[in-house]
Amino acid sequence: LTMLTDLEKCPRHLLVCEKSNFLNEKSRHDVHVAGHYFNYKVSVLIPECGTLPSGLKSIVNSIAKYYLVKNFPIYKILEEKFLEKQVKAGSLCALSYKTRIDQDNTFALLPTGKLVLSLDKDTYEDLGLEGQPSQYNHKVPVRYVITVDLADKSLAPGTNKYKRVMWALKEKVQLRSDFLMAKHKPDEEECPLASCFTDYQYKEYKPSVSTQTLSDVPCPVIHSKHLKGQAEESCDSQEFVEWLGAVTAGIECNNEASTFLSTYCCPDPRIIMGKACLCTVTGFLLPENIYQLLEEIRHYFDEPKFAPWSTLTVHGFSDSPVSWSTAEHGFHKGGENMYSFVIFRNDDYWLYMATGAHDACPP
Amino acid sequence: EEPASYERLVLKNASVYHYLRISLVFQDSDKRLSEAQFKQLIISALRDLYGEIGAAFPFDVLKFEENTLKAIIRVLSSGLVKLWSALTLLGSYQNEPCAFRIIQVSPLLLALSGNSRDFE
Amino acid sequence: MVRFKSRYLLCEVRMSDPPSLQLLDDRSVFTALRNAVSRAHGDYGAGVCGLSFAVKYLNARTGVLFLRCRKSHYRLIWSALPFVSSLESRGQRLPCAVDCLHVGGTIRTCQKFLIRYNARQIQRLLPQCRSEEECVEVRRAVMSCSLKELEEEEEEEDEERGEVSAGQ
Repeated sequence: LTMLTDLEKCPRHLLVCEKSNFLNEKSRHDVHVAGHYFNYKVSVLIPECGTLPSGLKSIVNSIAKYYLVKNFPIYKILEEKFLEKQVKAGSLCALSYKTRIDQDNTFALLPTGKLVLSLDKDTYEDLGLEGQPSQYNHKVPVRYVITVDLADKSLAPGTNKYKRVMWALKEKVQLRSDFLMAKHKPDEEECPLASCFTDYQYKEYKPSVSTQTLSDVPCPVIHSKHLKGQAEESCDSQEFVEWLGAVTAGIECNNEASTFLSTYCCPDPRIIMGKACLCTVTGFLLPENIYQLLEEIRHYFDEPKFAPWSTLTVHGFSDSPVSWSTAEHGFHKGGENMYSFVIFRNDDYWLYMATGAHDACPP
Repeated sequence: EEPASYERLVLKNASVYHYLRISLVFQDSDKRLSEAQFKQLIISALRDLYGEIGAAFPFDVLKFEENTLKAIIRVLSSGLVKLWSALTLLGSYQNEPCAFRIIQVSPLLLALSGNSRDFE
Repeated sequence: MVRFKSRYLLCEVRMSDPPSLQLLDDRSVFTALRNAVSRAHGDYGAGVCGLSFAVKYLNARTGVLFLRCRKSHYRLIWSALPFVSSLESRGQRLPCAVDCLHVGGTIRTCQKFLIRYNARQIQRLLPQCRSEEECVEVRRAVMSCSLKELEEEEEEEDEERGEVSAGQ
């Protein structure tokens, strides 16, 4: 019996669970990782393991540095020098910092060379560039998205279109913001990213790493071939992802039946894992870094290990204007855009992808 | 052992629960309360706004930090709006002015382990 | 034009001491119900029910009660009815219970239901008559009440039919 139906609705949310094998030709795990550009946090959980394996440790420590540039005007990205040396050379990620997608103007430069501007109505109208109303407007559009493809030939410096965009961003409304920038390029010595914004206040950061060892954690039994679980034998994927959340957030899973506070407990069937290693990296992380981590975890199982599986969870920026590739992203209530791999010993994997109310279905 | 075949499940609005990360703030900051008092405070907030029938739904305090008065709460999705509004309208505890701040809300517990809005 | 859709609840007030029904008035019933809703559904319920909630008709002899409320949340009032355990009238606390007999979209459907309901009640009660005379007496009383003889309000049946149609 529902008495207050209007109070019992909650915002739409989507969770996609996939199972496949890394060796499967059609497996799209690499596409999913490469298409999720703006990653804020990644955490790795390895059961039955006291310290972080050395292979992983060296990768974690070698994750690219990122820059926080203060008050950087957007037209600078379009300037010929920057465009040729940085954007077109590939894989430069930039995202405006401390801008909230539901109230501020938010900008992102994708590694493919697309510049995405998510603007409120007033700025959009002042700017006078062509864009689309945001998909998640209410009846009256209050937010617009402009996508400028910098890699496109029609936008080469000197063309009319280029001049028009440049004029709008430089003379008409000079949009500025603090930016997070990072670039994946092994031959960085040729033209370091930092040389491009010496005129501005900037700071270099290294992603922060924290490692902790958990002990005697109850842990659900899962079987890679049964996403929906089997009665009495293994847990389903939803139970597992809830448990994974509980462990990463440091929630107690051993509640007594009589406790007043919480009824959550680890789903059955379960085993006790003696030790587990949880490593969290926070920063402005590039998809390439994540992919390296994923490959390294796969190699962890090259030698026989006690752990039946390990997990890799990636959180996206909740205020980024895109989630996967160019799919529009909004905040609404949670702004989640995240994915999580469960990597099994035999190269099978589960992949969870979750998005919130203002987001398209994950790819 | 043969490899797992490809399978994709799309779960739309499938989460039974919603999770909230909240914190309780007092006007004068040295007030302390225990986990049980904290849960009782939320229950009384619910009862004030939605009465005995309206507030009769379960929720769990998954985690509570006594020093910072921060908590993670799990609630049935159908009770999310009620819990949220009751927390918002709560104004005092034992005649001390206080307020709940809702920091993060998500249908996925895993999402609460990262909040890019307090990224420094 | 959009009209506000209402729900009418047909209820019966039962007293532990039946003669005290006479002491009831609209106001005391209204207050008791509002307090019950406020207890069961809190400030929110009380606020929502405040919209167009009214006691449309109360028969102080038979205890028949018509309530009107908005269609969207009649369930709030409906679910609070069992929590009414006493009515306050003229300084007296009268123990009672309120039963909901029918929920209808118009007063007319409620009235139709009430007629059928009462007819059924009579059929149920008739076999309990102890003598032939009693049966005859009841039958005469029932037959005597028709819309033409509204003035002679002597029998329960009569009152309900008469007053409800007058109230329309």
